Amino acid sequence: MDDPFLKGIRVIALTWVWAGPWMGAVLADMGAEVIKIETNQRLDHQRITRILDVPGQGSDQKPDINRGLFNVTNRGVKSCTINLKQPEGVEIFKKLVKISDIVITNLSPRVMPGWGLDYAALKEIKPDIILVTLPAFGSTGPDKDYVSYASTIEAAGGLSASFGYPGEEPVLSGTYPGDPIGSMYGVFSVLAALNYRDMTGNGQYVDVAQSEGVASLIPEVTMEYVMNDRIRPRLGNHDEIMAPHSCYPCKGEDKWVAIAVSDNKEWKAFCKVMGDPAWSKDEKFSDQFSRWQNQDELNKLIAAWTKDFTNYELMHKLQKVGVSAGASLNIEEVINDPHVKDRGVFVEENHPIAGKTIVYRSPWTSALTATLSPAPCLGEHNEYVFKNLLGMSDKDIRQLVDKKVIY
Amino acid sequence: MFYKVLNGVKVIEYGNMISAPFCAKMLADIGAEVIKVEKPAIGDDSRWREPFLKDIPGTERSGLFQYLNMNKLGITLNPETATGKKIFIELLKNADIFVENNSPNSMKELELSYKFVKQINPRIVMTSITPFGQTGPYRNYKGCELVDTHMGVVGNISTREGDTSKEPIKYPAHLFSFQAGLSAAAGTLGAFYRQRVTGLGTQLDVSEQESVIQNLNAATARYSYGKQIVSRTDVLSVAPSHILPCKDGYIYNALAEEHQWWRFVDVMGHPDWADNELFKDATSRAQYWDALKPLLLEWTMPRTVEEIYRTSQEKGIPIGAVRTADQVLGDKQMVARGFFVAVEHPENGRLQYPGVPYRFSGINKEPPQAAPLLGQHNEDIYCGRMGYSKRDLDRLKEARII
Repeated sequence: MDDPFLKGIRVIALTWVWAGPWMGAVLADMGAEVIKIETNQRLDHQRITRILDVPGQGSDQKPDINRGLFNVTNRGVKSCTINLKQPEGVEIFKKLVKISDIVITNLSPRVMPGWGLDYAALKEIKPDIILVTLPAFGSTGPDKDYVSYASTIEAAGGLSASFGYPGEEPVLSGTYPGDPIGSMYGVFSVLAALNYRDMTGNGQYVDVAQSEGVASLIPEVTMEYVMNDRIRPRLGNHDEIMAPHSCYPCKGEDKWVAIAVSDNKEWKAFCKVMGDPAWSKDEKFSDQFSRWQNQDELNKLIAAWTKDFTNYELMHKLQKVGVSAGASLNIEEVINDPHVKDRGVFVEENHPIAGKTIVYRSPWTSALTATLSPAPCLGEHNEYVFKNLLGMSDKDIRQLVDKKVIY
Repeated sequence: MFYKVLNGVKVIEYGNMISAPFCAKMLADIGAEVIKVEKPAIGDDSRWREPFLKDIPGTERSGLFQYLNMNKLGITLNPETATGKKIFIELLKNADIFVENNSPNSMKELELSYKFVKQINPRIVMTSITPFGQTGPYRNYKGCELVDTHMGVVGNISTREGDTSKEPIKYPAHLFSFQAGLSAAAGTLGAFYRQRVTGLGTQLDVSEQESVIQNLNAATARYSYGKQIVSRTDVLSVAPSHILPCKDGYIYNALAEEHQWWRFVDVMGHPDWADNELFKDATSRAQYWDALKPLLLEWTMPRTVEEIYRTSQEKGIPIGAVRTADQVLGDKQMVARGFFVAVEHPENGRLQYPGVPYRFSGINKEPPQAAPLLGQHNEDIYCGRMGYSKRDLDRLKEARII
C-alpha cells in the first residue's frame, strides 16, 4: 500500500559537490529514479577530494575506488558517464531528457547554456520538462557568475557575520549548512513544479539562489535592521528570553549538555534536580528576567554542578521533569544512540568497492524507499541507461566509448 | 502568495514558533490557502519574540512572526473545548494538508493525532514536525533550537579551529528550526503529489534532530571510513579557508584549490613571501597558517571588503564578503533579483522582508500579503464559510473557544 511518493518519476541530475547531489538523494528517497550524469572530463570533486589519510582514499587513487564524501551524499542515485563537451554527448543527453520528467543542476549558470542545453532547448525536446537550477547567487543579476563555496554563500546570506561569541570575531562555519539548505529549497521547487505540471500540464523552469536561501532562514538578522536600524550582535548561545540557555561541561573530555529553561515552572523543576542549592534561591535568579540579566553568573554556577554527570545522565534526568536538555552528541554517539537507531536514521550499507559505508536518510519517515542503495561507482549504470532506457546497441555503445563520448 | 502554483490547495496549520509555521508559510508562498489556527488571546508564541518594530513588543509587532506568517489566513480556536474540537474537525475534513508541531502526547490528548485525523479525512497529508519524531524513546522529549542542534551533532561541531576552553556555540537565530520547516515543506509536497496521483494520505513524521543530521556528510564519511570523530577544535586541513578581517569588515577567504590560491597571490601583486617553500600547497599553508595569516592581514587590513570581494571575483576567485544585515539588504545582486519584498501591514505600515529564493519562469510573481492580525479571519471563516452567525461568533468568543 505504501508506494513511494514519486513512483515512476525520472530525474536527470547534473550535480556535483554537495547541494546538488543531496537534492538528488532526497528525491531518490521519495522513490524517483535519479540518474546522475558524470564525466571523466571533469569529475565531481567529492569523488576525488581526500578527506582523511586512510588507505584507498584520495586523489591519487582511481576515482571509482574513492572512499569519501561522495558516497554519503550520492546514495540512492544511478550514475552514467556522458561527455557533454562532445556534440554526440549532448545528443544522448537530449534523448534522456525526452524520457524524463525533471532535470536538476547545481553547475554554474553558464555551463548548461554553453552546451546548448538551456530551458528553451530542453522544452523543445520535451514541452512539459521541469528544470531546476541551484546556483550560488541565482542565474540572473550582475553577480550571477561569481564563484563560491557553502562557506561564502553563508557569508553572502548574512549568517557568518552573526555567528560568534558575544563581543568577539565571527567564527568559522563547522558544518556548512548553506549547502543542504539549498538542496531542500531545490527539492521543494522540483515538487512544486511537479504538482503544477499535474494540475495544469505545463512544465516549468525554477531558479533557486542559494545565498537567498540562507538569508530566508535567518529573518531575525535582517528584520532587526529593518525594524530598529540595528545590526544584530553576535550572541553566542544567548537566547532572547530564555536563561539558562547554554552548553555546560560534563564528565569526560570535551563533553557537554545543552540546557534551555523557558519559564518559572521549568526553572523550579531544574532546581529540584540540582537538589535546590542555596544559590538558586538568590533574588538574582528569582524570575526569567533576572535570570536572563545575570546569566553569565548563573551559567558558572550551573557548570559547577553539571561537571560531575555524564551528558546522557543529565539529559534523561532533566527531560524526566520536563526541562529541555540534550546531550551534545558527537558523530559516534549519534550513530549509536538508541533513539536514533530505533528510527533507522543511519544505515550501514556495503559499497561494492569502498566497503562498509554509513549513510543517513532524509529527515522524515513515511513511505521512504525500502532500502537505500549505495552511491554509484562512476558509470555503474551505463548499460542500464544506454541499452535498456535508450535502446542503443552494444556496437554503438562501444564506438561512443572509443570516441570518449561515453566517458 | 508569491507564485500561484498550488491553486485551490487547502492547508490547516496548527503550529507554534518556527518549524510548522515556516513549513506552512512555504506552502502559502506558492499559492496554497493556509488557515493558521492560533491560541485565543495570546496567539503564536513567535508574536512575542524579537525583533519588535521600534523595540515595542505587541501582538502584531514581531518581525519574526510577521515573516513566518505572511500570506496566511488567521483564526483563533481552542480545540481543548468540545465545540472548538468540533470546529477543528470540520476544518480538517475539507483540508488537503495539515501541518503541526505539537508534542505527540498533546496531539493524542486532543484526539488530533494521525490515528484520529485519518479517520476524519483518509486522504489528508498530515505533516508533524517535532524535536525527535513520532516514534522512539525520546519522542516526547522537549526540544528547542539549542537542544535539537546538539542532539543532531551540529551543535557539537558548529565551528572549526574552536577554542577548547570555551563551550560549543550555536549557529545564529533559529537556523535549524527553519531548516526543519523547509525540509518538512519539501517532504509535504512529495506526499501531496502522491495524494494527487493515488488518493493516498499519510503522516509525514519529520524530526528536527534528523533535519540537523542532514548537515553531517563530512562527519559521517570520516567516521565511516576512518573512525574519525570530527571536533569543533579540528584545524582546517587546507588553507586559507578562513575568515580574515580587513579595513571595514571581514572576508571569507575560501581557496580550497591550488589555482584559486595562485590567482589570489597574483591579485595581491605576487609578494615575495608567496614563493616561500612553507606556503607551496594548501596542506602546507594549513600547517604554517600562523605564519601565513599575518602576511595576508598586511594585505587585507588596508583594503575594504568590497574592494577585495570584487577584484577577486572578477578573476574567478571564490572569496566571499561577510555581509552584515544592512549589506545583505543593500546587496546589488539580491536587489537586482528582487529578493527583498515590501509588505503593507495595517498597523506597521510598509516594511521590507526577505522574500523567497526561487523564481518560477512561467508564473508571474505577485506581491505578498501581510500576516494575519490575531483572529483576523474569524468572521470570514466561521460565519462566511462554516455558517455560524455573528451572534454565535460573540458567544464563541465569550466562551473563550475562539
